[in-house]
Amino acid sequence: MTDLERILTRVERPARYVGGELNTIIKDWERVPVRIVFAFPDVYEVGMSHLGMHILYHVVNSRDDALMERVFAPWIDMEREMRREGLPLFSLESHRSVCDFDVVAFTLQYELSYTNVLNMLELAGIPLECRARDSGMPLVVAGGPCAFNPEPLAPFLDAVFLGEGEEALHDLVEVVHRYKGGGREELLMALARVPGVYVPRFYQPEYGADGGFRRIVAQAGVPAKVVKRVVRDLDRAPYPLRPIVPYLEAVHDRAVLEVFRGCTRGCRFCQAGAIYRPVREKRPETLLDQAEALLSNTGYRELSLSSLSTTDYSHIKELVAELVERYGNEPVNVSLPSLRVDSFAVELARSVQGVRKSSLTFAPEAGTQRLRNVINKQVTERDLLQTVETAFAAGWMRLKLYFMLGLPTETLEDVDGIARLARMVLDKGRECGAPKGRLAVTVSTSSFVPKPHTPFQWEPQAPLPVLRERQAFLQGRLKGKNLVYRWHDPETSFVEAVFARGDRRLAPALRRAVELGCRLDGWRECFRFDLWQQAFAETGIDPGAYAYRSYGYTDALPWDHLDSGIDREFLTREHAQALAGETTRDCRNDQCTGCGLCPNLEIEPYVAEAGTGAPV
Amino acid sequence: MPRFRLCYRQEGRARYVSHLDIVRAFERATRRAGLRLLYSQGFNPRPKLTFAAPLAVGVSGCREYLDLELEEEREPVEVLEALRSNLPDGLVPVAVRVVADGPALMSLVDRTRYLAVGPVPEGFDARALQAELAAFLSRGEIVVERRSAKGLKRKNIRPGIYSLRAGINGGKLCLSMELKAGAGNVRPDEVLKALGERLPLVPDDFAVLRTALMSRDNQLLWGGKGDGE
Repeated sequence: MTDLERILTRVERPARYVGGELNTIIKDWERVPVRIVFAFPDVYEVGMSHLGMHILYHVVNSRDDALMERVFAPWIDMEREMRREGLPLFSLESHRSVCDFDVVAFTLQYELSYTNVLNMLELAGIPLECRARDSGMPLVVAGGPCAFNPEPLAPFLDAVFLGEGEEALHDLVEVVHRYKGGGREELLMALARVPGVYVPRFYQPEYGADGGFRRIVAQAGVPAKVVKRVVRDLDRAPYPLRPIVPYLEAVHDRAVLEVFRGCTRGCRFCQAGAIYRPVREKRPETLLDQAEALLSNTGYRELSLSSLSTTDYSHIKELVAELVERYGNEPVNVSLPSLRVDSFAVELARSVQGVRKSSLTFAPEAGTQRLRNVINKQVTERDLLQTVETAFAAGWMRLKLYFMLGLPTETLEDVDGIARLARMVLDKGRECGAPKGRLAVTVSTSSFVPKPHTPFQWEPQAPLPVLRERQAFLQGRLKGKNLVYRWHDPETSFVEAVFARGDRRLAPALRRAVELGCRLDGWRECFRFDLWQQAFAETGIDPGAYAYRSYGYTDALPWDHLDSGIDREFLTREHAQALAGETTRDCRNDQCTGCGLCPNLEIEPYVAEAGTGAPV
Repeated sequence: MPRFRLCYRQEGRARYVSHLDIVRAFERATRRAGLRLLYSQGFNPRPKLTFAAPLAVGVSGCREYLDLELEEEREPVEVLEALRSNLPDGLVPVAVRVVADGPALMSLVDRTRYLAVGPVPEGFDARALQAELAAFLSRGEIVVERRSAKGLKRKNIRPGIYSLRAGINGGKLCLSMELKAGAGNVRPDEVLKALGERLPLVPDDFAVLRTALMSRDNQLLWGGKGDGE
């Protein structure tokens, strides 16, 4: 028995750590010059549900000169055993130590996974600070949505990839190959010249006498602003048609078909809607071919049509009808991850779901029309009631409604509006004759977190006591038969807000939190707010100064040097309109809203045309 | 509808996969292989796929069995080949045959054989080990604790140990056991743990392999005598 084998007998779900799943790629280590390990800073079941990982695994492994393996954050029991036996973090494919790879590539999906990034580096035996790593150590890089403000992680990351990775990863492989065996500094300088790559050590922040962030200065030879990368033709972009099929049940345990990227609805709180612009659809015939390949290569019984707002796909009705026609008897279920609040969406859900055993979820986000206008969520009370009526009439009895607490300008009246809406929905259910025993309306709230590159990036987060008070208020108003209220802990949202808009001065606090034992913070049973407070206190950080900070339009922002392609003027205009309660149309069908992205990146939205020869 | 019995090995990385996940892996493999499994009727259709005996996580099996029912007649060799090219590494089909309708596969299993391989306890040779095992088995009661939904339970495993032999092979201690399956079952790790109380051995150091599943009349599920395979 090896050390690993012995450890595996003592941990929960050892299959998380060993690999060997269907469609895994194991290459001959000695014959491949560039070796990358994709590091997902959360547990296996979460990481394996992430489409980006499957895409990059496919992109890198399709090259002869590179390989990509995987590693995930170990659960607490595994970490304890690894530390006890002195076993360093290892990849799933070849069971090699992570520090043997040329590149460790993290994805930053969520601020609360930052402690896992540091903990994984430490478990791998890789010095945390870039400056302490010599050329014999792997290059540590990161991408993903949080890469749009990676400043709190800046001292730990050699390079950060902004935007979509399909093409940028090829550049990474080539640069690493060319500079292999050479000095770290030359390699980093070459990377800093690749479009979309940000090498934090070449950028120095400056702070004012008052302690405020003043600006960030790029050293000579690197771009002053790093602009995100974007895939121009999504229809022809590489797509993983032989994704790894986990043995363990992943969070999303199904085949995933990405129908389009980007979303132009323009919800003002939404970072994904900002950083994944413009909308790029795939053609229906491409999607049908990909669906066929995915199902026959995986054996999944569920196909999920994925995007930020799948109901918006130009040919969604025809696509779904064709998929149900082809696979409905297999039996393969087609699933829609997010539903727009309208009857069309319910009809669509009905057409894919023969048996309506599950619940339907809608996200009005705010309780009053006034506040929905502020956030540009263009859903009226009438829309919602009509939609739920269609849903109840179609036989659904359990509905879930998502809202946010603490949105800019929110008052108690808006919070009360959530309860009022929920009761109206419930009444509709009774009106439609849903049986009392099975009717259920679940309200879920999360706390608003201001995110960089959105029109709300200047806004403060609502103070913790206010969030708690509003939650308690809502709890009181949502008591009653057939009503369920669920909420996210505001403390986690507070830490999320601190890091979302943080600067480099947070790095020591993050490091201290890891030393104190913070990790897997996204898991309620692991999150330790007391340890976070201790870490902030010991490193002299006032977390409230980050979360509750209100920025002026002319204030420097710690992420000003990172360019999502959207004009700052557009964001200020959107912010002003939000406060005035004015909405902005979707650019998909109406006229251009002038966000600046298309001219800035020299790209155009692509909406698939109808009747291009396919049976759809 | 035809019912096929598959004999397969579960080894390498696949031994860390739980039984429930193995069931899903086989279901997906049949779909990829274009074998049309029969599904139960009803709200939540389940595939007609039944296993002889779940394998504990971490334990390999070199003669595991499952029955699958298909919508259509197929040659056993076709089924075998189709599965061979569609299962992940570590799930290795060995043979397929058609079986007549009969009792559920699981109800046939009465006893199981295991081989546990680990380090030789310090200061013991083969003869000394045999003597220890004889003394161990001569006890009327061997009590272990087993965790169940209702908490820890004490359990006498002696009646469920049909045989236990030790040998030293290539410098390794090889323990072969024949244990009760089904009601009153005994698990190999329980035997190792109980042995660890009188011998200096650590159960975690042992690699465990299930070598056979047998019915009450000492027949292998495959047919043929238990000793003949």
